[in-house]
Amino acid sequence: MAIKRNSLLFLAICVLALAPTGLPPYVMTLLTEALILGLCAMSLDLMVGYTRLLSFGHAAAYGLGAYAAGNLLLHTSIPLVFSVLLAALFSGIVAIGVAWVCTLASGVSFSMLTLAFAQLLYAVAFKWTSVTGASDGLAGIPRSPGPFGITFFQGRAGFYYLVLACLVAAFIFCRSLVQSPFGAVLRGIRENEAKTLSLGYNTRRYKIAVVAISFMLGGLAGALYAPFAGFTNTELLFWLFSGQVLIMVIVGGAGTLIGPVIGAAFFMLVSNMLSSWTDSWALFFGAIFILFVLFAPQGIWGLATRWRSLSSTG
Amino acid sequence: MAFLELDGLTRRFGGIVAVDNVTMSVAAGEVRAVIGPNGAGKSTLFNLITGVTKPTSGTVRFDDHALTGMSAYSVCQRGVSRTFQITALFPEMTARENVRLSAQARHARRWQPWGGGTVFADAEKHADVALERLGLTHVAYRPAGLLSHGDQRLLEVAMALAQQPRLLLLDEPTQGLSVEETEQAVDTLSSLLADGVMTVLLVEHDMEVVFRLAHMITVLHRGAVIADGTPDEVRSNEDVQRAYLGGLA
Repeated sequence: MAIKRNSLLFLAICVLALAPTGLPPYVMTLLTEALILGLCAMSLDLMVGYTRLLSFGHAAAYGLGAYAAGNLLLHTSIPLVFSVLLAALFSGIVAIGVAWVCTLASGVSFSMLTLAFAQLLYAVAFKWTSVTGASDGLAGIPRSPGPFGITFFQGRAGFYYLVLACLVAAFIFCRSLVQSPFGAVLRGIRENEAKTLSLGYNTRRYKIAVVAISFMLGGLAGALYAPFAGFTNTELLFWLFSGQVLIMVIVGGAGTLIGPVIGAAFFMLVSNMLSSWTDSWALFFGAIFILFVLFAPQGIWGLATRWRSLSSTG
Repeated sequence: MAFLELDGLTRRFGGIVAVDNVTMSVAAGEVRAVIGPNGAGKSTLFNLITGVTKPTSGTVRFDDHALTGMSAYSVCQRGVSRTFQITALFPEMTARENVRLSAQARHARRWQPWGGGTVFADAEKHADVALERLGLTHVAYRPAGLLSHGDQRLLEVAMALAQQPRLLLLDEPTQGLSVEETEQAVDTLSSLLADGVMTVLLVEHDMEVVFRLAHMITVLHRGAVIADGTPDEVRSNEDVQRAYLGGLA
């Protein structure tokens, strides 16, 4: 079963790797963005799906990464790849402080604190013109070449491969994390935090660690977005985006890692299709979200795996 | 030298004194029952010992170290494991995973964020022993949430046991069990405690259970100790009869 699942994943990665050879540029751009959003949703899944830490502020991770990468690429000559990784690290380090504050509370209060923190960053981004460009944002973010003069990642296909590599690496990292002893403790916190604490685990430290890791990977997604789009703006930090990422996680299937990536692609696909028909596409997507919560709370990936196990047994 | 020593332990909640100046010493290897009517402060006493609640005043010493003011997880890391009055499990994990997570807490690399083959293998070894000692091997792979109430109570004991505690606190292990289930649970517990290696503090309502398991009994009434002694001494104590036993003994 595990081997079958791994070979399916390998197949999916191969298909994604071949995508640039057959798809038109417009679709490639959409696909790249979907993978970036998928990475962001997957990072949030560590908190929401595995630890039941409902964050309404994941835009903070994305925005931190995007603005950090934007500034590094605009004002230094650090190559694209390193800028992106440094920006992710920056987001993760900031998250330690954020999590230290937010984990003083739990449940709804935790969610509200994450939301408040993201909105705080949003307000700062509006005012701190020299760093964030205020309402204009940062524009003209380059995909700096190097190291050793490598220019491969500057092109559309090359950049796509960079995003794909980040996503696959992050997935392998997350999967090993959730299957590790650390991951077992996260599951304990998800199901009964008070009991986990009484078993001798410093649950708050585990929660801070998982928020930091989640923010680091969410920051990686944001850091990829900045040179992908060539600009950043305050919308990346807005609560609306936090909500959208949360919807991607839930619609795709929380607690599965793969599900949120599919959820992100689904979100991109449906919002693109709906927005070409109607301006009030968000209304229809809202309806889809409600249907999922009511009738398929395990999400798209949950439905798919259940269908597969049903068809294999009967 | 007492193994566990409570000195003047007091906890107020607003105007209510839940635990009132409790002084008590428990010797190593002793099974001590704490009894008393509802609201006598038994569970609060457990919470004070395990660091869940901070005392208003007084101290807790365990194996010659002060536990007072320590957080719940560090008290547990010192070798104090407990069960809860209201069953506290991880319902979606299997029984074995529940015990494994508990045993993992005693492993030096319990936080390791990758792999974990050896951490899990060590924890599973302790888990399987604990499950077997409580007669739960046959339900090891069932989700804990789907076990019978009796098995869930025993599973909590197995989780505590898998940590190889030096002090075990059992909060009403037979709470909500039928007469037959209680009898079975008490048989299992008494064979567990027979070797006298573990020091046990037991809160229990069922007097028969208490008299079968405990070497020593402390009686709480409105937060304060009104009697302390061997089962026979407590049984014949008039204050206790009035406050609690109501002529049952």
